Parts: sequence; C-alpha cells; structure tokens
Amino acid sequence: MDPVTLAVVRGALEQIADEMDQHLIHAALSPIISETNDCAHGIFLPDTGETVAQGRFGLPVFLANMQFTVQNLVEHVRAHGGFSPGDVWILNDPYLSGTHLQDVVLVAPHFVDEELFALLASTGHWMDIGGSVPGGWAPAAQDIHTEGILIPPCKLYEAGRLNDGLVSMFTGNVRLPDQIRGDMFAMANVFHVGQRGLDALVARYGRETLSDCIAALNDRSERQMRSYIEEIPDGVYEYEDFMDNDGIVDAPIRVALKLTVRGDNLHFDFTGSDPAARGPLNLARSTTQSTCFIALKHIFAEVPVNGGAFRPTAFDIPEGSVVAASYPSPVSGYLEPIGRVFDVVIGALSLAIPDRVPAPAFGTVGVITAGGRQPDTGDYFVAVFPYPGGYGGYSGGDGLVNGTPPVSMANFMSIEASEHRYPLQFDEYALRENSGGAGTFRGGCGTQYRIRTLSEMTISVLGDRQDHPPFGIAGGHAAAPSRLVIKADGREERPPMRSKVQKTVLSPDDWVYAQTPGGGGFGDPTERAPDTVLEDVEMGYITIEAARDTYKVVIRETADRPLRIDTGATETLRASD
Amino acid sequence: MADVVGIDVGGTFTDLFYSEDGINPHRILKVPSTPHDPSEGLLDALDRLHETGVRKEALGLILHGTTIATNAVIERVGARCALVTTKGFRDVLELGRRDRPHFYGLTDKQNPLIARNLRFEIGERMTHRGEVQKAVDGEEVRRLAKHLKKLNIEAVVVSYLHSYANAGHEEETARILREVNPDWEIVVSSAINREYYEFERTSTAAIQAFLQPLIKQYASRLLERLEKWGFDRRTLVMQSNGGLTPAERLGDKAAHIVRSGPAAGVTAAARIAAEAGFDRAITGDMGGTSFDVAVVIDGEPEITPSTNLDFRMPLRVSMINVHTIGAGGGSIASIDRAGLLVVGPRSARARPGPACFGHGGTEPTVTDANVVLSRINAEDPIGLTNLDRLDVEAARAAIGSLGEKLGLGVEETAEAILTVVNQNMAGRTRLLSIERGYDPRDFALVIFGGAGPLHGAAIIREVGIKTMIVPPAPGVLCAMGCVVADLRYDISRTLARPTQEITADALAAHLDAQEAEGRGQLEESGVTVRSVLVRHFAEMAYKGQIHTLRVPVERGWGPEKVDAAFAKAYRSEFGNLLDGIPTAIVSLRTVVEGQRNRDHRDLPAPAEKSALEPAGHRPVYFGGWHDSAIYDRETFEPGVVVHGPCIVEQADTTIVIEPGMIGRVDAYDNILVEIA
Repeated sequence: MDPVTLAVVRGALEQIADEMDQHLIHAALSPIISETNDCAHGIFLPDTGETVAQGRFGLPVFLANMQFTVQNLVEHVRAHGGFSPGDVWILNDPYLSGTHLQDVVLVAPHFVDEELFALLASTGHWMDIGGSVPGGWAPAAQDIHTEGILIPPCKLYEAGRLNDGLVSMFTGNVRLPDQIRGDMFAMANVFHVGQRGLDALVARYGRETLSDCIAALNDRSERQMRSYIEEIPDGVYEYEDFMDNDGIVDAPIRVALKLTVRGDNLHFDFTGSDPAARGPLNLARSTTQSTCFIALKHIFAEVPVNGGAFRPTAFDIPEGSVVAASYPSPVSGYLEPIGRVFDVVIGALSLAIPDRVPAPAFGTVGVITAGGRQPDTGDYFVAVFPYPGGYGGYSGGDGLVNGTPPVSMANFMSIEASEHRYPLQFDEYALRENSGGAGTFRGGCGTQYRIRTLSEMTISVLGDRQDHPPFGIAGGHAAAPSRLVIKADGREERPPMRSKVQKTVLSPDDWVYAQTPGGGGFGDPTERAPDTVLEDVEMGYITIEAARDTYKVVIRETADRPLRIDTGATETLRASD
Repeated sequence: MADVVGIDVGGTFTDLFYSEDGINPHRILKVPSTPHDPSEGLLDALDRLHETGVRKEALGLILHGTTIATNAVIERVGARCALVTTKGFRDVLELGRRDRPHFYGLTDKQNPLIARNLRFEIGERMTHRGEVQKAVDGEEVRRLAKHLKKLNIEAVVVSYLHSYANAGHEEETARILREVNPDWEIVVSSAINREYYEFERTSTAAIQAFLQPLIKQYASRLLERLEKWGFDRRTLVMQSNGGLTPAERLGDKAAHIVRSGPAAGVTAAARIAAEAGFDRAITGDMGGTSFDVAVVIDGEPEITPSTNLDFRMPLRVSMINVHTIGAGGGSIASIDRAGLLVVGPRSARARPGPACFGHGGTEPTVTDANVVLSRINAEDPIGLTNLDRLDVEAARAAIGSLGEKLGLGVEETAEAILTVVNQNMAGRTRLLSIERGYDPRDFALVIFGGAGPLHGAAIIREVGIKTMIVPPAPGVLCAMGCVVADLRYDISRTLARPTQEITADALAAHLDAQEAEGRGQLEESGVTVRSVLVRHFAEMAYKGQIHTLRVPVERGWGPEKVDAAFAKAYRSEFGNLLDGIPTAIVSLRTVVEGQRNRDHRDLPAPAEKSALEPAGHRPVYFGGWHDSAIYDRETFEPGVVVHGPCIVEQADTTIVIEPGMIGRVDAYDNILVEIA
C-alpha cells in the first residue's frame, strides 16, 4: 500500500470520527454532552470489533472502552442473527460497555454493496437514567438496579424501523424524558455523518483499497505501539494502591497490578486486587482495560487510537473483583477506582522508565453534591463541585496546580456564577500550601475551598485519597492526602468515612471545607536546586520548615529584608544527609 | 478623500497598503520587520512609499496593525504588576478553573502573569447582587499600598468578587492606591470587563495591566517618530474586534489589540467576499508557520467574546474568532513511528527556514515542496523572502532524503507533502463550519497570506467549496484590512437575571447607558465618521445552561420579544427548543461602530475577455510535469479568464490554479477560481 494513500486515508478516517463528535456536541440537548464533551464516536471493524478511528473531541475515559463495548456487542449480535442494514443497536450494560449506566452506546452497521463494511458507534452521557437518585450517582447503592435502568443489547431500529415501545420504555423511566429523547435521536443521526463519510471514501478509493488501507493502518499502529513498548526494559513491575473505603464498609480496598514487559508485549495482571466493593466503587472490566490505555496515552501521547495499538497488550483481571465487577455490583462511583488503576499503571511504569513517567496526580474525582430548594423560588437545585488537585512532578518539571482528572476534561464552575445559581457562598478558593509531594521536581499543590450555605441543603461527598495519598516516584515524596471538614449542628468535624459523606443536612451558615491532594513528587528533594527551593518559599508553595526538613535548604528570614539562602548551613545539612 | 496608508507589522514582514481612494491598492510594499522596535520597520515602509513618489502631505490617515501586544504576552515581557483581590481569592489567577495544558500528556503547567508573592488580599466582600457584605477598610488598603511601594511595581490590578455588579469597592481601592502613588498604572477589573466569571475577568485585567505601560510607550514613540518624519494627522490602530481605535489612547486599549493583525486580515477578506457577492465565506490566511481560518456570515466576521492567549490565560474582550493550526510554508515534513508522512505542526520558522532559503535548514518543508514542483519560481521568489533566488538543489536534497524512506521519488514526495498539509487545512476548514452547524459547501474561501494562494485550490477541492476568491493583494491583506475597517467599540455588562424580570424600560435603560458609553468613546477618538451604527445584543441561555447564545435585541423590547428572538436564534443554531424551561439574560452587549467615509462599490459584472497572453511557460508538477502558462497578475483586468493548470505570479504571492480549474477576474480585480 503506498504511503501517501495511507496517510491521506488515515487523515480522512480520523476526520469522519471527529465530525461525528462535533455533530453530537452540536446537536445534543444536554449540557453534559454539549459543554463537557461527555461523548465519543468511532469506526470499527465488523468482524473483530477493532477500532479503525476514534474522534479526538470525546473524553479520554472512552478511549479504548469503545472498542471493548463493540467487541462484546459483536459477539452478542453474532448469536442473535447478525447485523442487517438499517439496524441500530443500543446498550448501557456496564458489564459489557464499561463506565456506568449513564453512558449509553449506540452501534450501527454500515453496508457497502450489501456487504457489512464497518460498525459505527456513538457513546453519550444521558443526564438521567432512572434509578434512586437524579443524575444517576447513587452513593448508597449496593446493587446496579438502585443506580438506574440497565439496557441489555437490543435493537433501537430494526431495518430502519424505530422500536417505539423501547423508546416509551426509556422515556417512561427517566426523569428528563424530553431531553433524553432528544439526545438519543441526536446520537442516532450521527450515523448519517459517518456513513456519508465512509461512502465518499469508498467512492474515492474503492472498497478493496480502503479495506486494505484500514488493515495496513492498524498493522502500522501496532508496530508504532510496539516500538514504544520496546523502549521499556523487560521485567515484571508490581505496584499496589488502596482506596480509603467504599462508603459503606470502612476498610481499605486494594488495587494490585503486576505489569510484565517482554520485548514488545505488555501484560497487565490485576490478580491480587480485592473483591468487588459493596458500595458503588467498582469498575467494569472494560473500563479497567481502557484506563490502562489512557495512562499509556498520557505517557506516549503520539500513540494512535486504534485497534492495532491495543494488540500488543494482554490482561488478567479476576472476574468479580473491584476492577472487573460482575452483576449486580454497583458501579456509579467508578471514577475513584479509575484513579487507582491509573496510578498503579503509573507506579509500575515508574519502576521501569522513571524518566518518562510523571508522578501520580491528585487521584480523586471527589464530588461534593449540594441539593435543596432555592429560598426565593422554592425550585429544586443540585450543585456539583468536583475536586481539582495537583499533578505529579516529572523529569522535566514541577506539577500543575488545580488540574482536572487525567480521564476527564471537565472544569470547576466559576465562583461568581455558583453564587448566582445556588444559595451558597465561597469563603475561599485557594492554593493549598505545602501539599505537593516533595521532590527534585515538586508535585503541584492541591486546592482548598470552603463553601458556606445560605439556606438549608443536603450535601453528599464521594472522594478518596485521605488514608492513601498520591505517592512519589524515583525518590520523590508523597503529596498531602485529601481532607474534608464539615460544620453542621454547631460542630466542626471530619466525617466518619473521612472521604465519603452521605446526605448530611446543613443549615444556613454551615460549611464544607475541602482540601484536595497535591501531585506526587519526582526524584530526591535534596537534589532540588536551592534557588528553586527559595523561590518555592517566597511563593508560599512550601514553608521554611519544609525547605529545611525535607529539601535540606536553610533559608533565613530577617525583618524587612528579602529571604535568603544560608549557603553554608545548606551545604552542611545536605552533606550530612 | 485624503490618501490612506494601512501598515501591518507582522513577525517577519511589515506590509504597507497605500490607497488614494480608500479601497483600491495604489502601492503595496513589504519590508523586513524590526522586532527590537517595530516602529522602525513601520517608518522604513513609509520611507519606501515616499521614495515611490507619494508626497508626505498627501497622507491623511495611517492605519496600523501590530503584533506587539501578542509578542509581549507570549514572551512575558510586560510590566511588573501586583494584584489585589478579595480575601481568600488571590490564587484564582493561578488556579484557573480546573484544567490541564494538553488533552493527552500530564506535563507543563501554569505561568501566571502575576506571581503569587505579588498577589495580595483585602478583607472586603460583595454579594452577587452587588450588596456590600463587608466594606473596604481604607486603612488596610493604605497599609498595603505602602508595602507595595517597596516592591518596585509598575502597575496594580484590583479585582474583587462581584465587582461587575458593584464596582464601588474596586474604585475606592484604586483611589487610595493612586493617592499613595500616582505613578502606578491602576487597572480595575470592572472597568476592563463588566461581566461575571472572576478568573476570566481577573486574567483580562492582568493582561491589560501587563501590557498597558508598554503599549503606552510604544504608541507615544510611534507618534513622535511619525511627526518627525512629517506626518501629524491621525493614526488609528486595529483592534482584535476588527474596529479601529486612535493611537493616542492606545494604552487604555492594550488588551484589545492582541489579535490586531489577524483581525485586520479577516476584516478585509469579509469585505472582499461581500463585494464579490458571497454572503458566506471562510477566510484562510496561510503564512510561514500557521494557517488561520475564520467564518464570515453576511459580511460579518464571527465574533467571540473571549480567547485563550496561552494556557490558563483567558482574555475576555470581543474579538474576531480566528482559529489557528500549525500549517504554513515552514511546516516540516517527517515520518512518524507508523512509517507515515506527517507535516507540521513543527516549523522551520524564519531561521533556519526552509532548506531552499539556504540558511542551513536541512529538513524538508512545505515551501521546499512548492519549489521542487516548480509552483514557486525559484528565480524570482518575491513575496516569500528577501532572497534573490531559492536553492532548488537544497530543497531537492531535503525532500529526496525523506522520499528514500518512503520509497518515493523527489517529485512524488513533494506532492505527498502538499497532499498531507492541504488535507490538514481542509479538515480544519470543514470542522470550523460543521462545528457551527453549517455545510462547508455553502461557503466561498477567501485565501490570502504569502503562502495561501499556493494551496487554496487544493483546499476547495478537498472541502467541496465551489469558489475560491483570491484578492488583488493577498500577501498584504492585513494591511488592506486596516484601510477598510471602521471604528468599533464593544460595551458589555453582566445581568444574569431571568428574562421575564427585565422590563422593556429596564432593558432600554441598560442599552442607553451602554450606547452613551460607546458614543462617548467614539467622540473621544476625534475621528470624523460618516455615520454611527449601534447594535445591541443579549447573551442568553436556558436556565441552567453554561454556554450562551448571542441574540440581537432592540431598545423598547419587553421580555416576550426578547424570548421570541432567543427562540429563533436557538432553533437556527440547534434545530430545536427546550420548551418550558425559562430563559435568562446573562449579559447585554452594545456594539457602536463609527463608519468612515468611504464608498461601497457595486460594479456590474465585466464582459468576458478573450485569451490573455501569458508571460511565459514552464513545467509545473501536478501528478506529472505539465507545461503550464505563467501569468503576471499585473496584466489581469476584469473579465480575464484563465484555465488551469497555470500559475499567476504577483509581487506579494504566487497563485496556483490546478488542472481542471478555471479563474475569472471579477469587477473588483479578485480572481474567482472554480472547478471547471
């Protein structure tokens, strides 16, 4: 296959997937799709379900998850009569399609000359999926049914005919029927964009050449992926990390990874991870696999997103564990175990290629949810404030502050806008001093904020990383753990489950105070340049005490004079270390 | 009408567009820019103009586009500033709103314009309704001011929470600061951007303060130099919103000129498309390192209320929405790990530049590909560089070594490089219209920039656009944009209230106040305008939505009319309505334009002219060597028709018309290229 045609076809396939993303982002009713791009689109091979191309605008969390979903569906459809022109399949069964019930997947076959040529898929986050709690996050859920309706693979359209009964079943069971209906049809419409794009490519190159190109592109991506893996020294790298608890049982939950690198192959073995949690902090198998790829993609950003790139990897994930939950384990708190899976991949790779790997980020998507009635109108409101936090230091520099989780791109709401929308007020939104992991390259500091209530409301918090802070790598230190204090009933206290709070009622002038973790440190802190340590102290990123005790840099503070390094004392201290 | 001169100072070249009637190009010039002091290059250009016989006294107006503000921000060479905020919020400028620099990759971090040790807090608080919750303690401010005096500060930014709702605290603080040190430049956030979103407003104020002393200085030096040179009439500068503002008060508008050059280009392109009879256009500006695209609907460039100048550095001022990808003449071609050809975003920049420049560059670039395929005339490379001739052998060598790895010959490799870079540009062009819900095939492409007309034909072929418009002077279009622009001021203010609560009287009062402010600025500019155009908009959303939609409104309208206008705009943007959900007016915006005295042309279509004699022929590679006609653009006149494959050469660029395409010169001296 000539390289120019390949380059052009690759660009054209990626463009089709990008345009599918844009069409849904433009057409969706729900802000979660139109404003935070909580969706994904791709083109897949009809027999193997391998990814041909995936759009660049969807969230990282769907990176490889789409392929696993399509592969599971292909198997199902094969046993149920196969794909026919005009069919559109729908599912949200997390044990097949990953993440959580809100992420609904539509898959449509594309036929060329009456022969199945490709599968197109669209994932979109639905704002409500029924179940016990609006929005679908059910902190007290102990089974999947509490979290919402589960859609097994079924046909939304059969040979182009809409299954009205199925649509009524959805709209009859969700809280925002019009919005859900609108989003569902917007997703189904996206397939026209994909089909039009593929038809144009077939017309331009011919079916056979296009198929050959797709096969060649996946082979080349595989080679590309293998070239990165080859740069990782062979070996077995083990790392484990823990979640604080599942919000129901106060016991740590282990996520363990044994990563084996052999030549240009990677083997991820999660044996040794704890059984599924009772509470909703579980991952579906495909999300665990996907998270491993997201971590790789963050380290090797040039890795292409297609099936070839996934080939050099193999997985052992014990069924029924916290990282391969099976029916009926709840999964709506999946973003916390994602953080842990992400970080054990980072941890294991840091043992092999420390210079390529950043230390872990803050690692908790901790969500503070506040709900109640507006004092002036009586309208119901739900406000959601997800944790920001620091990113880890890396061989080229210090970590970011106030980052968004690596699997997400979502922002924190403006403080002024929040105060317009909800009966609450922020006392503070600030950098959390001294919270980044110490290192030659320091982890970014965490964030701290206090939200004060102006009327009665109920708050829930689902966070983590209080008992097990983000670790350092290559000799770097751990970051400060997260911390949560709530003032209610005239008392200020840390909640019993520390990082998790279920439906606590706050009165006016109560507050929630969150301090989020920084990122882990990279490298030995006593090798950080003294001038840089001085600057950290000047900026208030670290204290004078931390400079002396952790970085072994002695800084003198005299009235009305700038801070200065005591070079002699620093040399002595560093030499004695 | 007196003669006008438009001068656009870019990174590499300073372009001059001189017109005796305010629209037709009577001289166009390019001189090297002088980054150490951009006004030097500007004066060089004027000297050159004078040498061509234009009398200094004939010049009535100088209109100027500049990159000085952009460069200062990117290189972080601005004023040493302090920031004063509400207690608890001094870090907002550094923290932003929870994001990261790259979609994939967890490296790099924020680099705030004002470091943490120069950010201070005052124990005041306003509510979101603008009610004082905790008053400003004058003594506390005075103590802080005295402390600041020791810190060698040039400018102080005051940015308090909810100051858009009540600016009292910010103004009081500024007054005390001025008392303590009248030499400080004081910037209060509510005066720069009267809208909510504390991070974005604070960042905008910080950018203004960071630039203000520098821009003030630049403007006064420029005016001084111009006066010495012999020009003492008005000088206006292009703002990012496509409108002009007087140089005398440029310091106050520092944050408004960061996209001066690109805005000028789009303004000119919009005007050209409208005159040529196209109500929808995509403008494409390809230079050495980047390809800038923008959308124009009904002659109006799309305006965005904010942009990011850098990671975590939002700038909230109205500006023309220009999207950039890393595709330019200097974009480097290489082979990725999958063995596939990729072009850009890495660029050879001005130094070493493409291999054919002979400055030591060895990596093959897009320009090298154009040289190898003989699309660019190596013997007469005007419009590209100041070189006498281009080093074809160096270009062939660079491309040849890449081709060996691909198993392709030199010409095939060069053509492959063009194919890939054209696909990148075509893809972005398509997405730009699709993102807005338009069909790209309904647009005309106005192509410009030194490298644009080499690639425009391929872009329209890829995207399916019917017509490419090549303006008379595509290489200096930004300078022309300065000449055709109007004065423009955007005034806005956050309301954040349900539409139903805003009575017709209340709406009219807000709009009148904004209109008066805009007219005031227009009068202060001292520029004679023929007419004043005032337009009002409401930024609206359904309750709960984050993103707003801009809806034209009029004074006298009550809630029902406003809602109806919103419904109309929402339906056309999204194809449906969210019935039953109440709407809110997030902010009101007033655009006051002072239209300058120039005529809109409306010329009849020219009669088709019989065949034009080409200046020569040479083989040019289009999938094989084709003997192609080479035309001199100066010989073109309305009605001329040329057939591809051919090359049209002119002082500031080279135009490629592909095989199977046809070019017609319209009444305005544009070449309209279509697939035959």
